[in-house]
Amino acid sequence: MSIIYALATPPAQSAICVFRVSGEGCLDALSKLFSSELVEPRYFYKTEMLNNGAFIDSVAVVFFKGPKSFTGEDSFEVYAHGGLAVMSKIVEVFDAIGFEEAQPGEFSKRAFLNNKISLSQAEAVSDLISASSKEEASRVSLVLGGDFESRVFDFSGQLDALRVLVEGEIDFTDEDEVFIQNLAGLGADVSRLSAEFCSFAGACSSRKDRFNKPRVLIAGPPNSGKSSLFNSLLSRDRSIVSSIAGTTRDLIDSELVLQNIVLTLGDSAGVRDTDDLIEGAGINISFDEIKKSDLVILVFDEETESSVSFFRELLGEQKYLLVYNKIDVSDKRPLGFDLFVSAKEMDGLNELRKILDERLSVDEIEDLTYLVRERHINIFSEVSSRLDFVSSSIEANESLDVVAENLKACRDLLAEVVGIKTSDELLGEIFSSFCIGK
Amino acid sequence: MNNKYDVIVIGGGHAGCEAAHAAHRKKLKTCLISISENSIGQMSCNPAIGGLGKTHLVKEIDAAGGIMAEATDASGIQYRTLNTRKGQTVRSLRVQCDRDKYKEAVQKIIKGTDIEVIEAEVEDIEIKKGKAEAVLLNSGKRINGEAIILTTGTFLKGVMYKGDKKTEGGRVGDKASIKLADKLYSLKLPMGRLKTGTPARIKLTSLDLENMEEQPGEEPTPWMSKKGKNTKHIKQISCYITRTNTETHKEISDNIKKSAMYSGNIVGIGPRYCPSIEDKIHKFPLKESHQIFIEPEGVDVDLVYPNGISTSLPEENQKRFIQTIKGMESAEITEYGYAVEYDFVDPRALNKTLELIDVENLYLAGQINGTTGYEEAAAQGLMAGVNASLKICKEESLILERHDGYIGVLIDDLINLGVTEPYRMFTSRAEHRLMFSQDNAEQRLTEKFYKKGFVESEQYNRYSKQEEAYKNFKKLNEAKTISAENKNQKLRDFLKKPNPDLKKIAKLIETEDQENLERLANECKYEGYIKKQLREIKRNEKSLKKHIPIEINFTEIQGLSAEVKERLSTSRPKTIGDASRLEGVTPAAISLITVAIAKKNK
Repeated sequence: MSIIYALATPPAQSAICVFRVSGEGCLDALSKLFSSELVEPRYFYKTEMLNNGAFIDSVAVVFFKGPKSFTGEDSFEVYAHGGLAVMSKIVEVFDAIGFEEAQPGEFSKRAFLNNKISLSQAEAVSDLISASSKEEASRVSLVLGGDFESRVFDFSGQLDALRVLVEGEIDFTDEDEVFIQNLAGLGADVSRLSAEFCSFAGACSSRKDRFNKPRVLIAGPPNSGKSSLFNSLLSRDRSIVSSIAGTTRDLIDSELVLQNIVLTLGDSAGVRDTDDLIEGAGINISFDEIKKSDLVILVFDEETESSVSFFRELLGEQKYLLVYNKIDVSDKRPLGFDLFVSAKEMDGLNELRKILDERLSVDEIEDLTYLVRERHINIFSEVSSRLDFVSSSIEANESLDVVAENLKACRDLLAEVVGIKTSDELLGEIFSSFCIGK
Repeated sequence: MNNKYDVIVIGGGHAGCEAAHAAHRKKLKTCLISISENSIGQMSCNPAIGGLGKTHLVKEIDAAGGIMAEATDASGIQYRTLNTRKGQTVRSLRVQCDRDKYKEAVQKIIKGTDIEVIEAEVEDIEIKKGKAEAVLLNSGKRINGEAIILTTGTFLKGVMYKGDKKTEGGRVGDKASIKLADKLYSLKLPMGRLKTGTPARIKLTSLDLENMEEQPGEEPTPWMSKKGKNTKHIKQISCYITRTNTETHKEISDNIKKSAMYSGNIVGIGPRYCPSIEDKIHKFPLKESHQIFIEPEGVDVDLVYPNGISTSLPEENQKRFIQTIKGMESAEITEYGYAVEYDFVDPRALNKTLELIDVENLYLAGQINGTTGYEEAAAQGLMAGVNASLKICKEESLILERHDGYIGVLIDDLINLGVTEPYRMFTSRAEHRLMFSQDNAEQRLTEKFYKKGFVESEQYNRYSKQEEAYKNFKKLNEAKTISAENKNQKLRDFLKKPNPDLKKIAKLIETEDQENLERLANECKYEGYIKKQLREIKRNEKSLKKHIPIEINFTEIQGLSAEVKERLSTSRPKTIGDASRLEGVTPAAISLITVAIAKKNK
């Protein structure tokens, strides 16, 4: 049986989350996934979870050798921090190494099949499968709600229409009907569909990215301590910090991991009147960056406090936080600021983190649908790249049987979302739109 | 006539002949009972063998030792390969046959064996304790058999319609076997009703062929069979193409209410892909003309089959619309078209061996199972004959899976999905289409059937020699580097590209063996796809093959929707794989079934 994984805790923010993994061969992946060697089964190990060597989270892991496990198979459990961002990363890593997301009730089912649970418990398993498959279904429909869903159906319909022509051209070649006028036309149609699908998949993943990682920009007048704040938030020395105005020549992005979300934190060049050309270019980027951001942290200090209204005007509708920095060297607490911090002394930063987390976290529904989304987006990207391949193969004069196979493979990928297309249904479409038969 | 045989085959059509011949190859004592000895091997519809998907079936039957391809070659009068430029896997050789010579060829093959042909009507099949044991003839004679294979085509409540005229019987001139039909109804098998139709037959000499488009056969004339039993083709002749016109359409539209099909007399479901001319005009009113293939009935026969204008209009209307067609203005009709309605047994009542689930040792094959076409019938006959024989010899049955070939797809579709219209094979029904070509049927099947004793040694030796030659060719050439397109590349890599110029390559690698070069090219081309499919098949093999015990009552499985319960109950899937291919059955439903099976087993 394949290796399956599932989130055992609810897909919502909590102190910790638990992932279960089961299936023959799953223990082979341990050395790749965790930084330290796990020796004994049924022992609790504190270690670091890695993605191709890159740190994801501090976790605890326990593994079991079959048949001494819940499912009766080799299995392991990961206890990670319960933030959605961490969960999403773990799902990504599991998918990448070929683990499959478990069907509803599949762990219990395997346990039952391997004689690990009793008959009466098995009755409960059946209930569980049917109940949670309903839940799963409604979850998927939530993800695909609105135009999202109708667009996927629309695409699969367009794909089916192309398949009708290709299959018709193959199976009804001696009929009095023209299915494909010329192959170049077919190639163009596939290529158009591929482009549309590509932009659709792109839109999906940018929605995903935005959801995953809101952009936060630190901006403000020169020398107000933006880079210090940036570095303090990230707790590391990322950009060059100096007391000379205008040192941040390039924009530096970095990921800030909070409890619920991961956000992209940007440090802008100081916005001020300048005839320094390089700096000038830097300011242009800053204006662009401001527009792209979900939230701007405006940083001022005692010396620059007077320019608050200038920046407010600059931001217009944009959401922002007004932060007053350098409280370690100033006793002033002017009105209108959201927060008073000292980047240098790390004072008030936890509060800043909390505010960011709250302001940028998404609502409940998005929480629920969070984990299902990844898989579908992966499917869409795959379909788009396969369609690309089909259109270039038509251009290279590939034979129709191979073209048909690749189109079918694209359609099969969509089956998870829109259901399968049986060959009989496809034939039915041929018969209803073309006059076939002798 | 003896009173005991190993295998009794009832019906001498394409299914019956393949079934009897398979049992004969297994060296079992076999008899073939037909109402009319002279109609054994009769082509009852158009005189052609092959077509998309159908040719693949014929080639597979041939590779398994069957006789259809051989009979085709003994009677073929026009050979054409369809889809020459759409990829090797969908290429199909279609053959027009001389109707009488085809029948003669089949009869000659059957008579050349020790199959005993009995001309009689079967009145009863004796079934005791759920096992079929014997047949009772109209002469009163009783014949015992270890296995009985029923291949009686459309004889169940067959009714022919022509305008408002209604005649009982499945085919012009053949009487329906009422008593046997009653017996079958008494078994309370699930039944359905289908319809099909034929066009009028016309005298060749009454047609003006000069005014039609001639379609000659291809040259050099290929062979359908790889057995090499026929060495010389009979005379090759052309087919002709003409078209209906607005005048034809007006005549038909004006009288459409007189057609049996439109008068409400017929309830059976006709095939969507084989509509009557009335249907075509009614459903596609914007199409101003429909193509008609004029298929000669034979070399020296003054008769054609006008393919494309099957009808159930009254005779005078048939004559009038036919005479509006270009080249057919003075057409002389020898027999008018008609529609046939008949009952069939829902094939979901069958095992994978085509044995009835509820009656042991009774096998059904051919049109009685809701299929249409000679090739589909013959394929089932072959498999029923093979598996009945294996059961008698107490050997493991030979089941072809969906990834083994079109025969596997055909039988799997029938017994799991049933039929909603006369079932015809198309290449698009095969999800592993790129694995099957008409040219690789032997590589897929011959060894399998030889091991079980259904391929004769002469055929097998020829096959082995051919494979040996290919192996040597491959060894010699595969690793060669050729210089083309201004660079040196491995032959293998070069062949993988779309449309390699094989004539040029043959020169470059200095070979004259075009046939094996082409085979190597195709192997390289499809290799990647086939490997991928094989991986998938292997990955799912274990879980898909999991057997669903007969005692499982799907309606009792908690959590399944009412719709899925009903579908499972009527289809009675035999394995998890079969269940998963049913419409509406989700992975969650499969999980529930797996749990139910495990519960039963505890």
